[in-house]
Amino acid sequence: MIEAPWIETQVITSSEPASIKDINNDIERELAFYKQALEGAIEGRKNVITSGVPFSRPDDYFAEMIKSDVHMTRIRQKLVNEEQSIKASEEARRLRELKKFGKKVQVEKIQERQKKKKEDLEKIKVMKKKRKGIEDTALDDDFEIALEQAAADDRSRKRQNTGKNGKRVSKDTRYGFGGKKRHAKSNTADSSGDLSQFDSTNGKSGWKASMANKKRKFTKKRPGKAKRKSARNKK
Amino acid sequence: MATLYKLAKAQKDEDSDDHEEKKVSKNRQRVLALSSRGVNYRQRHLLNDLRALLPHFKKDSKLDQKCKLGIINELAELNNCNNCIFFEVRKRQDLYMWTSKTPNGPSIKFHVLNIHTMDELKMTGNCLKGSRPILSFDKTFDSEPHWALIKEVFIHIFGVPKSARRIKPFIDHVISFTIADNRIWFRNFQIIEKDPMEPNKKPDDKDLSLVEIGPRFVLNVIRIFEGSFCGATIYANPEFVSPNQVRRNFRMAKVARHQARTMAKEENRRKIADIELSDDFSSDSSD
Repeated sequence: MIEAPWIETQVITSSEPASIKDINNDIERELAFYKQALEGAIEGRKNVITSGVPFSRPDDYFAEMIKSDVHMTRIRQKLVNEEQSIKASEEARRLRELKKFGKKVQVEKIQERQKKKKEDLEKIKVMKKKRKGIEDTALDDDFEIALEQAAADDRSRKRQNTGKNGKRVSKDTRYGFGGKKRHAKSNTADSSGDLSQFDSTNGKSGWKASMANKKRKFTKKRPGKAKRKSARNKK
Repeated sequence: MATLYKLAKAQKDEDSDDHEEKKVSKNRQRVLALSSRGVNYRQRHLLNDLRALLPHFKKDSKLDQKCKLGIINELAELNNCNNCIFFEVRKRQDLYMWTSKTPNGPSIKFHVLNIHTMDELKMTGNCLKGSRPILSFDKTFDSEPHWALIKEVFIHIFGVPKSARRIKPFIDHVISFTIADNRIWFRNFQIIEKDPMEPNKKPDDKDLSLVEIGPRFVLNVIRIFEGSFCGATIYANPEFVSPNQVRRNFRMAKVARHQARTMAKEENRRKIADIELSDDFSSDSSD
């Protein structure tokens, strides 16, 4: 046994034995070690100060450290990187959520628009039905006016008031108005990809062409046997 | 004249110091730290970390011999050391740590597990090179005689004496030994005194916090000998299973698993063959 003043050995024995229930639980275990060491540090600090030995290092005392500056910068860099990666992943998650939500809103809007259109059409239908009861050729014009009025109820006035008469509008759509005139007739990616105007015979003639046509005809659906049978039975 | 006066004064001071020294005994320890041949990098780094951490460690070249460890006593004497830490490596993987009070003992043999060195970036603490640590022991060390003995030896080896060369005058780290799961867990923490929120406040006991510096490892006691690297066994750990045995058990379990699987496969193949045979027989008979 070393029978010497405390400061010679600086030994602190903990007041409580460490109690760790599950040795494989890292957090619990390390916490127990930390607690024990912290108790040692606090007690030790008291003892060191009472025995008149300096404990804390003054700020202007520079000496060789156990880990080099290069190593410490690596440690710091690692911490910074970890923090950044956490932040980046959080930001990405936030954006993903936002995108999901935005899409929802868009879909809702489209559905609403479609619903409105449907309602309008329904209104017109109802109106037409009403009119059918008292159908009269002389009243045709009145009917049109009534329809327009019904539609106008829902629409805002601003949209109605475009400042162009109908003839002008239809002519504009037919011949074009304003906009760029150059390259209007040259090919675009869409137009060159459009194959709808081509013949399905694919330039074949005679038998081959007829086969191609047949094939197309054949692909026109004939329902299956069971279906046909059931349909016959229904009759 | 002035130089004469100074000389005389120095002489007088020295005398008074000697007088004081006679009254209080001093902790004079020097530790020889060496390893056997065949250490891998992690074990070598662990030894280097301990050397860096504890300024009274004296290093020596790797020891070639593995069986006659008594030679280490002579080496320690040559180096004026009264303690020794010896890393014995078997099969380039199993590390055994001998801690010994040379030349008369006792000596303790540990199996070292779960080594983490200071080079790992997880441990963010730092401390002065050569500052004296506070040694924190678990209370369990006082419960049984063999633990008490280990504690005493650790105080000699890990406690840096005040008179050691290359020590720094401040204290900024704490080495803790905890007994859990019948093993000794070694941890080394930096003591941070200042609250990072209020750096200008005078440090208080409540402001202390710790950051791990490393290294960390776990020691499993195998045996305690009476002499230094020799002598009768004082204590043998009944729970210790040698790593060779552990590996063997693991391999045997694997073999058993494999055998069971091959047997099942064979059985299955035979059954299928039987069924096919009986089918052939029945179809033949119907013809």
